[in-house]
Amino acid sequence: MGILEKAAAKAKEAELYEEYREGITVSFKGGELEKVKSEAVLGRALRVIVDGKLGFASTAGEEEDPLVEAAVASARHGDPAPFSFPELKGEGEVKVLDPEVQELSPDDLLAWGEEAAKAITEEFPGIIVDVFLSRGESCVRVANTTGGVREERRSYFGMYVEAQHVKEGDIWLLWVGKTVRRREDLSPEMLVSQVIRYLRWGERVVPSPAGRPPVLFTPRGAVVLYLPLLVGFSGLSVYMGTSPLKGRLGEEAFDRRLTIVDDGTLPFGPRSGSFDDEGVPTGRLPLVEGGVIQHFYYDLRSAALAGAEPTGNGMKGGFFGGGFRTPPSPGPRNILVSPGEGTLEELIAEMKEGIIVEGVLGLGQGNIQSGAFSNNVGTGFVVKGGKVIGRLKNTMIAGNAYEVLKDHLVAIGAEAEWCHGIYRSPALLVEGVSVVSR
Amino acid sequence: MKAFLKGVLKRAAGEYAEVRWEEVTRSRVVFQRDQLMALESSREAGGIVRVLADGAWGIAVFTDPEEIPKRLEEAASLARAAAGHVRNRIRLAPVEPVEDSVTVSVEEDFREVPLEEKRKLAQRYNELILGYSKEIVSSSVRYTDSMRRVVLANTEGTYIEQEIPDVTLHLAAVARRNGDIQQAFESLGEAAGYEFVKDREEKALAAAKRAVELLSAKPVKGGRYTVVLDQELAGVFIHEAFGHICEADFLLRNEPMRKLMQLGKRFGVEALNVVEDGYIPGRRGNAPYDDEGVRRRKIYLIRGGILTGLMHSRATAAATGMEPTGNARAVSWEHEPIVRMRNTYIEPGEATFEELLKGIDHGIYAKGAFGGQTEFEQFTFSAAYAYEIVGGEIGGMLRDVVLTGNVFETLRNIELLGKDFELKGGAGGCGKDGQSPLPVTFGAPHVRIRDVIVGGK
Repeated sequence: MGILEKAAAKAKEAELYEEYREGITVSFKGGELEKVKSEAVLGRALRVIVDGKLGFASTAGEEEDPLVEAAVASARHGDPAPFSFPELKGEGEVKVLDPEVQELSPDDLLAWGEEAAKAITEEFPGIIVDVFLSRGESCVRVANTTGGVREERRSYFGMYVEAQHVKEGDIWLLWVGKTVRRREDLSPEMLVSQVIRYLRWGERVVPSPAGRPPVLFTPRGAVVLYLPLLVGFSGLSVYMGTSPLKGRLGEEAFDRRLTIVDDGTLPFGPRSGSFDDEGVPTGRLPLVEGGVIQHFYYDLRSAALAGAEPTGNGMKGGFFGGGFRTPPSPGPRNILVSPGEGTLEELIAEMKEGIIVEGVLGLGQGNIQSGAFSNNVGTGFVVKGGKVIGRLKNTMIAGNAYEVLKDHLVAIGAEAEWCHGIYRSPALLVEGVSVVSR
Repeated sequence: MKAFLKGVLKRAAGEYAEVRWEEVTRSRVVFQRDQLMALESSREAGGIVRVLADGAWGIAVFTDPEEIPKRLEEAASLARAAAGHVRNRIRLAPVEPVEDSVTVSVEEDFREVPLEEKRKLAQRYNELILGYSKEIVSSSVRYTDSMRRVVLANTEGTYIEQEIPDVTLHLAAVARRNGDIQQAFESLGEAAGYEFVKDREEKALAAAKRAVELLSAKPVKGGRYTVVLDQELAGVFIHEAFGHICEADFLLRNEPMRKLMQLGKRFGVEALNVVEDGYIPGRRGNAPYDDEGVRRRKIYLIRGGILTGLMHSRATAAATGMEPTGNARAVSWEHEPIVRMRNTYIEPGEATFEELLKGIDHGIYAKGAFGGQTEFEQFTFSAAYAYEIVGGEIGGMLRDVVLTGNVFETLRNIELLGKDFELKGGAGGCGKDGQSPLPVTFGAPHVRIRDVIVGGK
């Protein structure tokens, strides 16, 4: 008898989530290989509804009977379940498995790591290079007592390159990275050339303008502005009243040029899947269209509480997903920000004087809910006369993401890039950000 | 398990091999406003093997214990594949093999406490927060406990079983007035029993009170200030900004950084002593041995303002001709040990709190920590809340205080150390190389620093 059948014998409803992850990671430090690691991990979570009350338990490995007992025991002291487990229907298959990723051998990863370090240190001999590459597959299976089962194999391929410039009184850490599902969506050479471009820009440290100069967030740097939104559009934050977007559906809360879609169906999107961690089909959900708030994203619980429809955004491990140990909660799938016009070079030329923000320290450490940010610029550059003249140091930016994206958006770039494995955005040129420097 | 592991390791390939197998009993209760978001009491088990072959590491993680022999072979073959790419062969500093079994007795074992009681406790704190004021719109109360039973065996004859208890309580309040949202929290953690989280009503109320107060606090004006950090924030500062760069794995293949971190170099005023304390029973994450089976030690990172020590694993110690310090730690069975902190603190000085404030014309008294991040010399950390210092006196409340700077300059800019030392273990943990949250403690007295950059509008 399987876990679900055992659970069904004791509970009116039950849902079993299983995730089997198999993969390889290689790490280079200081240009030299540090370790090669493989993993084969089975994680499980069981939710039950007993006498109308919700219970949860999770485990790694093979402990089946204790899992059932633990979930039922949890339900005994749980709260009424605001939802029922849905019928699991297999409509539409989203492409998430690339056989080419599984064919990548440890030797392939080792070669890319070595080449990356070599290419960077050839031009910049003093730079310390760390590289991490990983590839693998996770098999996710959701089954519940409606009789349905959804199962899917999803591949992942990631590379992260860190370059460290270390001199007394001037240490600079620069990194770029990408996680994708398809081999062809990640070019190790592209990542390396990005690093080299930034290293060239940053050879010289120059004073940063202060006050409220224009700020160009590169696609990766724009996370400063998106992070509060990722929390604010969560149906749970809205229901709880901690989101400033509560009660504002249909309101023009952002610049009219801004369109943001959460798309779980995008072929090979880093967070795409045919179904979410509760078995609900994913979809294409406009969050902001022409500056107007369109939808929030929901899991089963928050949808039931808010009287909304689940949107296929039930993610294990919460906001950033990826953990069998925690119950699902609303999380974004692939956040797609519609591009505008202008290459990065054109935006730089357009802003004439200002700063470029590529990476920050202290992300998410402030009052994110309110949209406030206050960050040390880890990797940033100074623009003068429409040209990058060098790197800035000891500089903090502060502002409010909601205000910036409503009233101070100058331009949206044309070139969208995948960043942080969660969104695809072009660069954003904005004003209204306070810059403090020494 | 012992005979099985010893037998398996006898057949292991390579210069060195180890198996770590963990069995974890854990519970969690999470309330968010009126919702019970998690209520769980579960068990899990998993393992990791590391093989050093031809001077390179191969590692394999698994959940099926029957796979241990197979995973050892796999790790050995990964190590051999890696070996061709390694220029400097990895060696391990010698340590005496240890056979030991460490059991922990806590006052009130949380494994014996019914889940229902844990729920009731968390619910009571949650209700206190929500009922404090009409302006409290949401809350988050999280109780966790875990008992990790860790078995470590290696080919040198070490066989250690350790029990590591951990119990945490996170109490957070969200207040709202018109469009403005503010949050405040209290966060506790210890290697203790259930008694540690009982009778914490005053902490719940403190979080609620502060969230409401923050609604009336002034946003800080960005600029350079003389700041007084409370014990918690000074502790976070020393952990984040300085502790991490004393982790030798980070320095190993980074020659320029190693030169900056030369032992004997002056880093701060004469009065500055920074300690990495190996084993303080009862404190979060503390156990007598690290995850390589090395006994944990107390070391001075800074003594009399001079850099005197770094934290090591066996590999970093061998590469630099130092002694292992017992700082190789893994956050769970899913990860290999890397060089990590445990109890990191600034030793107390002589000044009273009044003396710390004296002579500060216009400064900031920053308290508590939302978090901190560091990139080598650059650090940034957010105070949970703060007050103005005007003419040597504490003034009105401030919010959005994010401090940033260069750690080397900031250490040199420490002007005064208080005598009121506190060591703290929060409910969160430390993150490094994808391993988070690792239970640690940090501590300090009140510390006064000049010329700190504060971000703000």
